Amino acid sequence: MFASIPSAIVLGVDGHPVTVEVHVGRGLPGLTIVGLPDASCREARDRVRAAVLASQATWPDLKITVNLAPSSTRKVGSGLDLAIAVGVLVASEQLELAQTAGIGFLGELGLDGTVRPITGIVPLVDAIDCTSVVVPVACATDAELVEGPTARSVRTLAELVSALRGAIPWPDHDRPSQGGSLESVLDLADVRGQPVVRAALEVAAAGAHHLLMVGPPGAGKTMVAERLPGLLPALDRSFAMEVSRIHSAAGRSLAGGLIRRPPLRAPHHTATMVALIGGGSDAMRPGEVSLAHGGVLFLDELSEFPPSVLDALRQPLEDGVVRVSRARFSASLPARFLLVAAMNPCPCGEAGRPGACRCPDGALARYHRRLSGPLLDRFDLRIDVMRPEVDELLGGRPGESSAEVAQRVARARDRAVLRSVRANADLRGPELERWAPLSDGAQDLLAGVLRAGRLSARGLDRVRRVALTMADLAEYDGPLGVEHVSTALQLRADVRLGAGVVA
Amino acid sequence: MRDYPEEELAALVALAWLPGMGPATLLRCLHEVGPSTAWRAASSGRLGDVEALASFAARQRDSTWVQTMVDAARSIDPAAYLDRHRSAAITIVVHGQRGYPDRLLNDEAAPALLFVDGTLDPLDGPVVAIVGTRNATRLGCDTAAALARDLASCGVAIASGLALGIDGAAHRAIVGESDKFKSGDGSGRPVAVVATGLDRAYPRRHALLQRQVASRGAVVSESPFGIGPLRWRFPARNRILAALADAVVVVESRSAGGSMLTVAEALRRDVQVLAVPGHPTSPAAAGTLDLICDGAIPVRDAEDVLVALGLGGKRPVVTESRAESGDRLAPLHASILDALAAGPLTLAQLVEATGRALPEVSTALISLETAGHVTRSGSWFEPRASAPRGRARGRSAP
Repeated sequence: MFASIPSAIVLGVDGHPVTVEVHVGRGLPGLTIVGLPDASCREARDRVRAAVLASQATWPDLKITVNLAPSSTRKVGSGLDLAIAVGVLVASEQLELAQTAGIGFLGELGLDGTVRPITGIVPLVDAIDCTSVVVPVACATDAELVEGPTARSVRTLAELVSALRGAIPWPDHDRPSQGGSLESVLDLADVRGQPVVRAALEVAAAGAHHLLMVGPPGAGKTMVAERLPGLLPALDRSFAMEVSRIHSAAGRSLAGGLIRRPPLRAPHHTATMVALIGGGSDAMRPGEVSLAHGGVLFLDELSEFPPSVLDALRQPLEDGVVRVSRARFSASLPARFLLVAAMNPCPCGEAGRPGACRCPDGALARYHRRLSGPLLDRFDLRIDVMRPEVDELLGGRPGESSAEVAQRVARARDRAVLRSVRANADLRGPELERWAPLSDGAQDLLAGVLRAGRLSARGLDRVRRVALTMADLAEYDGPLGVEHVSTALQLRADVRLGAGVVA
Repeated sequence: MRDYPEEELAALVALAWLPGMGPATLLRCLHEVGPSTAWRAASSGRLGDVEALASFAARQRDSTWVQTMVDAARSIDPAAYLDRHRSAAITIVVHGQRGYPDRLLNDEAAPALLFVDGTLDPLDGPVVAIVGTRNATRLGCDTAAALARDLASCGVAIASGLALGIDGAAHRAIVGESDKFKSGDGSGRPVAVVATGLDRAYPRRHALLQRQVASRGAVVSESPFGIGPLRWRFPARNRILAALADAVVVVESRSAGGSMLTVAEALRRDVQVLAVPGHPTSPAAAGTLDLICDGAIPVRDAEDVLVALGLGGKRPVVTESRAESGDRLAPLHASILDALAAGPLTLAQLVEATGRALPEVSTALISLETAGHVTRSGSWFEPRASAPRGRARGRSAP
């Protein structure tokens, strides 16, 4: 008359175990779900009944009470359907308790008894403390990525019941094809010419420096950004697992196995705050910044994003994590990403060229006021991307390939690891003094630039970090030279345009 | 001006403030019926009583304009409004009365009155207007500054519109040099003609410059206090600028820039137009090259302007000497300056143009910047006027 079935729900990027308790007893026939179910969870009532009836089982005409424990947290989604159905069958003595011992159940039911895929299978399986877990067949590949419980996949409830009774062996379904494994990586060789852009991209990858590209439409900013993940080192096993959990929690299928390549996320500028940062519903879905964890977040048309959304980026940029708090629950969503942004220099598209830009001064000011200083300050690298010359597009030799550049990047990252940081961008004041000493020439150069008021104290640290990455890429030891510091200074072009301001 | 009755003056200033009141209607009010009669008609709503106002009303397709004007007239007290100007030490000169500049008196579109912060003495000597685009190149600004400085040193008053870019550069060059050119007769002083009321500054970041110009020379406007940057007032301002000048020098302009309106006003008044030539590929030089093709006198330096003014005997005190071509430049530095001669370039374009590696070019650019030969505005590198050139820039004997 009573059954207790293990299952799980996902909140944020983490799974939380849920025990589905089912009691079948005398009373007015019907099914009640208690334990803070949300709407989609409460609808399980009707789905489960139809699915049980469609599976040649009997629906007990008794009072059925389902409790989702712990009853203080809100239960979201339809993933508990399968556990409820099994619970009803056990409590109505159509299945024996021993037959389900040590098995967790995850899956949504269709009215015809099919077991449908659900989102967040990786964190869900991870949360269940059982020897095996039953999952929908479409989720089997993802479930197997989790070390620990054995994943059993089923297509229908009827099949599950037969397998549990021992009438048939556990089915061994074909996996959905792993089309994603031959992930094509865009090659940097496609970028013709553009020496400054290539250099900036390499430095960004090697030192994890955030990059802002300023250039007119059609200059290839997106093309460049898409090639950045290919330069980053592949994710190691534990990091890959962390990234995969996030993507699974966000409802993306991991058809290609663990995510080993750093992801690229490019949300459109109409994205809402919740879409970008995460949160929203009770499930606390991870946002784009979390999906870019371990990879690249590309914001095209930066100045078109609502200022409030951009300002919300500052905390994850600083801490590598988003803390979303709601009345009942708060979640920490990992969000350590390399930010690459692109924007037009001015509304007229003349790139603010002195003497050619037709933008009235007011329009320019309004355009740039949308970007807050603190956000712009986070970009270690700011470069201009101009439209390439026609000759280069047609006849230019292909540049260095991603693989060659990635090797240099990997070596530079290794040098950063010796300084006990992930990448040079993480070096702060005293560490910078220690690891990035300046040669006399570089010292004089920076002193001159500082005295001329062209660089702030904070800017100085950024220039040093970038210069250190340059030296790392060149495998250069010793104090930073003039050429490293000069290049770092030039790769920090001021975004605020001089047009009309010079007088 | 003291001869002009206070009550009439107050009425004239108040009329000038009315929305929709243009210079021509104001001038007719002044001479046909007198300001106080016109003011009574406007504030009582009987525009028909005064022919100038009646024809203004008849021209309006939208009758709400007339109502707006009448409502506005009822909302202010002319005497108190005049006092605001007086307490800010603004001089008001009226067409046909004492103190009004002779240069404007017989102008085809003479302003009925002018508000002056400072003194109009600079207009007694030669006046050159230096105008150009707001979005100027650094080289253009340097050229405007050098011209202003050298001309001022010869006692030529510099008139301009106090806009961003060329206008501001010309004036900043001569207000900065505090008392260097201060001579007793007021020559070599700045005169700014602005479109807003003198209690405003447009653009706002030129507020300080506006005060400096007022203290050294004059800031002039035909708009009374409270008038903001209205679109139609800028071309109207340009006509005063052109009428006040003996010559208009255009330093940089695109083909259809606001400076071209000043040029058109100057040509209508037989004021000489001079233009600084630039590189044909530079959009900033397109307008000035058009002018030169159409017969404007090309300007290389202040001497060309002085000759055009008939002051050829004067020699400017050259304030800044260009580095001689003898200065030895590293080959890379020289090729960067050569590449920049055709107009501003970005870092990537410079790497491309010189064919050298990014670190080398970066290092060279920093040292050129430090030496003051190159400047960076936003993404663009521009040469300064002080940059050494490959060729000696001599002048053949006359």
